[in-house]
Amino acid sequence: MHELSLAQSLLEQLLGLARQHNADTISKVTVILGPFSGIVADSFDFGFNILKKEYQETKEAELILEKPTPEYLCLECQHISAMEPAESQIPGVAGIITGKHSCPKCNSDRLSPQGGTDLILKQIEME
Amino acid sequence: MCDVCGCQLHEHHHTDSKVVEVNQSLLDANQKQAESNRSHIEKMGAIAINLISSPGSGKTTLLEHTIDALGDSLKIGVIEGDIETERDADRIRAKGVPAVQLTTGGACHLDAPMVHGGLHVLEHFCHGAPLDLIFIENVGNLVCPATFDLGEHKRVILLSVPEGSDKPVKYPTTFKGADLFLITKTDLLPHFDFDMEEAQQEAKTIQPDLDIIALSATSGEGFDQWIAYLKALVAKQVS
Repeated sequence: MHELSLAQSLLEQLLGLARQHNADTISKVTVILGPFSGIVADSFDFGFNILKKEYQETKEAELILEKPTPEYLCLECQHISAMEPAESQIPGVAGIITGKHSCPKCNSDRLSPQGGTDLILKQIEME
Repeated sequence: MCDVCGCQLHEHHHTDSKVVEVNQSLLDANQKQAESNRSHIEKMGAIAINLISSPGSGKTTLLEHTIDALGDSLKIGVIEGDIETERDADRIRAKGVPAVQLTTGGACHLDAPMVHGGLHVLEHFCHGAPLDLIFIENVGNLVCPATFDLGEHKRVILLSVPEGSDKPVKYPTTFKGADLFLITKTDLLPHFDFDMEEAQQEAKTIQPDLDIIALSATSGEGFDQWIAYLKALVAKQVS
């Protein structure tokens, strides 16, 4: 549920940037969503697309969410591996890593999530 | 000829499209307020702890017993976060400790600006007298509070025995950001299928630097360790 308040703070930031650059409309917004940010991409997208209609400048804005592949540090051999989340059982809902997964180098299951906790406004396109 | 697309039509014009690289965290505003809260707390003479858990893991009960155990040895203040009611703050006030109730009116977590307001009210309650330890009891939720730094010095996650030992691996983001993991209600271990080894090992895999204490507020088991942790923290003996 905190996705809605984060979408609201994104919109406030966008309105500020539009003013700063004398732009009338924002057409495209690119956001990097860290895999361990605790933020659900679909909920964030949903919240953004509802809230954007409140402002003239963002009405037509398209949100592009970049989702970097999650990385894990193996606590046994220190190898860092990237692992794609599993396919979701529910169409349209992002998959998450479930069950046991192991280090591709030493096969240990002691994998610690690395980085990817942030939500970053990367780029905007405006007119 | 049109300069933009090279076509021969003069009647149309292209709007100027501008791309700006922003590269700024959306959590920046919260983060800045959290840093300012941290210095505010330090000016009050205190160390702050952010308590995060599901509803019913025993956060308020832990605080009640902690207040009893610490007695007059440390000056405590509490900021309570809940969606509704003053009930938790009333329980703390009944122990003679100043408590501010933040009701979020629906929001699933506390954020740094809310805590900023809470700190000012707490200061007012204490008439400016310094505190040693401030507990911020987050809204009962094992997911959303993990994203928001409140300006705390230590983040403590509670997991009670009835919730099950699989929670660290199911809520990795929450455990990743934790400093101390408290396994609560250990007096109920004989009645539940809780694998202590699994809970501890999996939490340590997610966050290798995690400290872990297993305790029961009612039986008192492990409670000394928690009190010793708090005392060391205030004496700045815990890094």
